[in-house]
Amino acid sequence: MNTMWANTAQFLEDYGQDILRLTGDHLLLTFMAVLIAAAVAIPAGVLLALCSWRRLASVVLGVVNIFQPIPSLALVALVGVLFIALDLPSIGLAPGLVALVVYALLPIIRNTYTGIRQVDRTVIEVATGMGMTSRQVLFQVQLPLALPFVMAGLRIATVWTIGIATLVSLVGAHSLGDLIFRGLSRHRIGLILGGAIPAILLALLFDWLLGFVERRLTSTGSKADGLPT
Amino acid sequence: MITFEHVSKTYPNGVEAVKALSLEIAEGETLVLLGTSGSGKTTSMKMVNRLIEPTDGRILIDGQDVMAQDPIALRRQIGYAIQHIGLFPNMTVAENISVVPRLLQWLRARIESRVDEMLSMVDLEPSDFRDRYPLQLSGGQKQRVGVARALAADPPVVLMDEPFGALDPITREQLQNEFLELESEIKKTIIFVTHDVFEAVKIGDRIALLHAGELQQLGAPREIIESPANEFVSQFLGHHRFQLSLLTRTVRSILEELQITPAEAPAQRPTHRLRARSSLIDALDEFQTAGQASLPAYDREQFLGTVTKPQLFHAVAQVLGEA
Repeated sequence: MNTMWANTAQFLEDYGQDILRLTGDHLLLTFMAVLIAAAVAIPAGVLLALCSWRRLASVVLGVVNIFQPIPSLALVALVGVLFIALDLPSIGLAPGLVALVVYALLPIIRNTYTGIRQVDRTVIEVATGMGMTSRQVLFQVQLPLALPFVMAGLRIATVWTIGIATLVSLVGAHSLGDLIFRGLSRHRIGLILGGAIPAILLALLFDWLLGFVERRLTSTGSKADGLPT
Repeated sequence: MITFEHVSKTYPNGVEAVKALSLEIAEGETLVLLGTSGSGKTTSMKMVNRLIEPTDGRILIDGQDVMAQDPIALRRQIGYAIQHIGLFPNMTVAENISVVPRLLQWLRARIESRVDEMLSMVDLEPSDFRDRYPLQLSGGQKQRVGVARALAADPPVVLMDEPFGALDPITREQLQNEFLELESEIKKTIIFVTHDVFEAVKIGDRIALLHAGELQQLGAPREIIESPANEFVSQFLGHHRFQLSLLTRTVRSILEELQITPAEAPAQRPTHRLRARSSLIDALDEFQTAGQASLPAYDREQFLGTVTKPQLFHAVAQVLGEA
């Protein structure tokens, strides 16, 4: 027992700095990927939901869906190959980020689309009937009512990205995956756990944190709480 | 005044929802569009605020063709209330009520006082209800907020699509009665859509009975019930005719027929009293609960005279004889 603690302490002394730095890199990579994906996917989801030509939505969502069943490791590799083919630097932040963004797009775009589409048509009609312009209907009624859905999409995207970000070490983007792969190649269990445990904790933490925000947003009006008795 | 001139709505698939509808709604009048689903009543109403656009004919509000007006500006001048689902669930009661005033960019202080005024008008305590969300309201409370919202910007014309549709019978009756009182005070031009003939008779100054997009009969409730224009109208009224006749006679009609005049008003506001606009059925109810031989009748706060139980029974018997 004592030796185990001593070993752990020694390990943390040796690698603590690395773990902290890579956790920071991991988070930074995740945030960049989710932010870029959100900046594209939220407007895209809104436009798809508002587009009167229904086929467009099914085509776009279908295309985005294609990426989902591709194993994440294969996608990361494919992006690497794509970068080589395009004569771009295939090692470093860029290919890793691109792979993560592609993955994060789907849950956000799908949830935004669903969030806007699920708003009761009667509510939209009454808003129009009261004299709101279509822009006012969007910003004052549809988007607020879609917000819990959008938040759920962001939460799912963030948790996925934290997981998949461990893989992009393979194309040279820094993340907690660095430790895991180093440990795997050297048969060092300590290194593997030093990368895996923080990654798992980050995923759980953000799932809880964003879930909390999501519930808060929902409880303001769209959910029945504090009902008078 | 609202005028329908040969208004038709034909959908691209050939369905004729409304066929050459012509009618006039006087200022301050409540016109009920009555019919079953598919009769064209809601379509007719929605053409007034251009949620649906007519394919033929014209709708004029005070002589102005609605199709020649900016739809956004037009809608902000027309109150609109529908079944309770129409409240915005993401907005508080105050925000819901103030939607149109905010669209019209009223000053904040004016909006706040207007919200409280409207809440009091529909008997909801402002401090208690202002900040609630629709999901924290009962069905009847939602409906009151819906009515308050439709009237908030003081529009001259109000459209109401089955506003009491989704309520239990008791709350519904209570809201209808309150609406009648409110209506006599605010004097709006109201188009009220319903499928319920009892509600139509109770609420409407006149009723337009529609079937398959065509106007079957237009007239005061009593006219329609006592002289149905065609086979469809009498079938629509069906076996309810006797009950409906009792609904169309009011306490006021007893006072007028018997030439009852106010002798001396009770010194205090009595607990049990008849309202001039109450139907004979409501009056019978009131006598039942009061357990008195006679009751004073009021038009809002004005004392009109005293009606005795035998006088009421006599009026009922008259209807019985006629029906």
